[in-house]
Amino acid sequence: MTPTAIGDDLFDKGKLRGKKFRNTVIILGILTLLGIIGFALRVIDTIGDGTHNTPIWGYHAALFAFILTAAQGAPMVAIAPRIAKAHWRRSISRIAELFGLVGVVSFLIYIPVAWVLPSMEDGRRTLWFYGELKVPAHMPEVTTTLVLLALTITGLVLLWVSAMPDFAMLRDRTTGSKQRWFAWLARGWIGSSKQWHWQKHRLGIVGAFYFMMLITAHFAYSVDFGMTLVPGWIDALYPATHAHNSLQSGVAITLIAMYVLYRFGGYKDYITLDQFWGLGKLLFALSLLWFWFWFSSFIIFWFGAKPAEEAVLDLLFVGPYLWIVFIVFIFAFFVPLWSMIWNPLRKSVWGPVTIASGVLVATMFDKIRLYVAAFSVSDLPNKHELVDILPGAVMPGVPDVLIWVGGISACILIYMLATRIIPPINVWEQKEVTLYRIHKPFHRTEVQILGKPD
Amino acid sequence: MQEHVQLTQRQINEDLLSSVLKTPRWWWPAVIVSAAIFLTGIGAFGYMLNQGVGVTGLNRPVFWGVYMVNFVFFIGISHAGIMISAILRLTQAEWRRPVTRAAEVLTVFSLMSALMAAPLVHVGRPWRADLWVFPYDFARGVWINIRSPFVWDPSAVMTYLTASTLFVFVALIPDLAIVRDRTDGLTRKFYAMMAMGWRGTPRQWKLQAVAGILLSALVLPVFVSVHSIVSWDFAVQIAPEAWHSTIFAPYFIIGAIHSGVSAVATLMVIMVWVWGWGKYLKPDHLDAIGRLLIVVATTWFFFFFLEWVFALYTLEDPELAVRELQVFQWPWSGLFVVFLFTAYLIPVPMWMFRSVRRSYFWMFVTTILVNIGMWLERFLIIVPGTMRRGDFIFDWGSYHPSIIEILMVIMTFAWVALGMLVFTKLFPLIPLFDVKEGMVFRDEIRIGRRVVPASIRE
Repeated sequence: MTPTAIGDDLFDKGKLRGKKFRNTVIILGILTLLGIIGFALRVIDTIGDGTHNTPIWGYHAALFAFILTAAQGAPMVAIAPRIAKAHWRRSISRIAELFGLVGVVSFLIYIPVAWVLPSMEDGRRTLWFYGELKVPAHMPEVTTTLVLLALTITGLVLLWVSAMPDFAMLRDRTTGSKQRWFAWLARGWIGSSKQWHWQKHRLGIVGAFYFMMLITAHFAYSVDFGMTLVPGWIDALYPATHAHNSLQSGVAITLIAMYVLYRFGGYKDYITLDQFWGLGKLLFALSLLWFWFWFSSFIIFWFGAKPAEEAVLDLLFVGPYLWIVFIVFIFAFFVPLWSMIWNPLRKSVWGPVTIASGVLVATMFDKIRLYVAAFSVSDLPNKHELVDILPGAVMPGVPDVLIWVGGISACILIYMLATRIIPPINVWEQKEVTLYRIHKPFHRTEVQILGKPD
Repeated sequence: MQEHVQLTQRQINEDLLSSVLKTPRWWWPAVIVSAAIFLTGIGAFGYMLNQGVGVTGLNRPVFWGVYMVNFVFFIGISHAGIMISAILRLTQAEWRRPVTRAAEVLTVFSLMSALMAAPLVHVGRPWRADLWVFPYDFARGVWINIRSPFVWDPSAVMTYLTASTLFVFVALIPDLAIVRDRTDGLTRKFYAMMAMGWRGTPRQWKLQAVAGILLSALVLPVFVSVHSIVSWDFAVQIAPEAWHSTIFAPYFIIGAIHSGVSAVATLMVIMVWVWGWGKYLKPDHLDAIGRLLIVVATTWFFFFFLEWVFALYTLEDPELAVRELQVFQWPWSGLFVVFLFTAYLIPVPMWMFRSVRRSYFWMFVTTILVNIGMWLERFLIIVPGTMRRGDFIFDWGSYHPSIIEILMVIMTFAWVALGMLVFTKLFPLIPLFDVKEGMVFRDEIRIGRRVVPASIRE
């Protein structure tokens, strides 16, 4: 296809949204409303109790952790291969970047979690050396909020910078208020050499900043909203494991979004086996690393066997949530390992997507295990060792189920609506690759030559 | 990879076989000096065996000294080969081609040095090494303690050494055939035997490529497990409080990659300076390694940060005492500052500049600095860690390495140098077939007025 034909085709596809799309949007809207109702019920429970009642917010905290981990990790799928100049990324970078918008929903879900987090005055161990440094007792809420805000804004900026040339094309193809809106987003883009140079550099800088913010957000949330609530839980690797899990599930969620667009969006000409294969390999490697991170923590606690460590193992691994540990282990590591070493599965469309679905399920359960368990012991009187009798597994109530369904629906809804405005396939990157890709005879065959500029 | 010089196969053969087919004047003196240092170290080792470990500076409670530091350091250096070779091969990074073999060979000799440093020298009674692996007493059923690092370490390191040697050998076969065809007499017989009948048939090439990919994939878990296991020697213990941390495995691995890749960059510059292989190891390669090092070093620094933050988070007195010792008490405080500056604060800001990344001299200086820093890092983990101010310690003696230990530390470095020198005399240090393949796969695309480098495969 010529660059012009690519532009026409992709913009035409953006206009075509049928009945199925509309019905799905309506259903998701209703489910989102149900989530809001669930949230209202949870708030009434809390206010009625007269305290912050932190333990009952475990599922809500887990939902936020899940969205932060999966959806906000997805833009890394656009950032990392772009830095590595991998051409196969071109069809999927926008699909990944669009998850930056989900950060807005994620941030809204976070606000109540910050509200119910106990003050550091309760005497628990904190990152903030509370007693010594005399920092405000709500430093975790302040810093995590700022970091998450920065992450959300950076995600939006990344999407905007990347989509600017496409907005300019849309500006030139629309009229009236739409044109004015796209003209505003395109910020006078005319495709001059200077603008392209500017865009390339901004993408690199914003991408690097997004990565730093993502790591910092995982560090802040996993420690201040998880680890510090569990007396005696001292795991230096945990923030890194959390962040790594974000990369793994970010790849998984991108694979699933990619498959939906491939299957139902009419993008089969752009999303090909190359993309599924590329991401499948990445998912495979990240799943192996998942085990390594998990095991590196586990063996130190198990081998050390200090009373505090054994108590933490009881709570998080072998105690009330053991069945969740099995589910997570199976879907985050065991299934990817033993299925993706099989070439026909790895090099297929359905294989990586199926495995990715399992990885997302594992991530969801893992966050439930960690945050529900952490919140369930947040009000124990001894703040330095789990000496009390451990609580049983906390099962979700009706509000929890509604909040989860509503929260996830809201994320999907905002993503779907965004594809109405922003082309889910990066038009300028598709056009660009036509310049870098040629076919040449090579001995008795013909090969594809790919240019890689510095 | 914008710089490109298209070379003929004949030129490549001439350039890269020069180390094997000709002996430069400096080679023998270099070998003699390395061998003399190595033998002096062996002499010191013999003296220690005869007199006992009392001749070292090890004392209560510092039972782990520079031998262990060296062990961890060389295991770290050995991570270079797999990082550069296996990962870059799997990701099909074109710039890897001239770099891989030197990195792999460095892995092999570093591993040998590591084995020399810890199991052989550190334990003091190496003749009892069989008891780490074989049962003490079959009749009474006294079996080896599989919970002991004495079992973990040799198993992991020997597996890694076997895998790395195989990795080097498989990639060497086509080049051995080239050397075979250019030698005669006994030498020819030696290379013919090593080349195992290689004639370059399509089937042989296919098998060689598959073996390379399979070994790359299989050696990666071994690479990860080796340093994880080494880190667990420390981390599973609860006595030196500063060691009992979950972060140790990734922290050690990323530190190993940092020092290993830096060592490869150092080696590349030496190869250019000594053999004049500037046409193959171009500033572009150093630039790529420099960029990689920025990412690796920063990730390492993040893990270093986590290690420290969570050490302070414990608020436990023995842990805080070790940290105070590392940072505020002379001479550890001085070493700590040197470590921080040499391992990160000087090299990484310098690598931000393209001109530094593309300079042989500055890359040599900065990568040497990194390895000074990384050696000190291990020293600061091990020695102040064992000097802990914990309960029931009745002797707070400090540690000063004795001359015997210093000689043996120098011996391990001399061994790597000697090994590399001998290897370059016997085998090509830059893979000929890989470089030739790269020349075939290279192309250029004209876009407007610009010519963009291109490759047949992505």
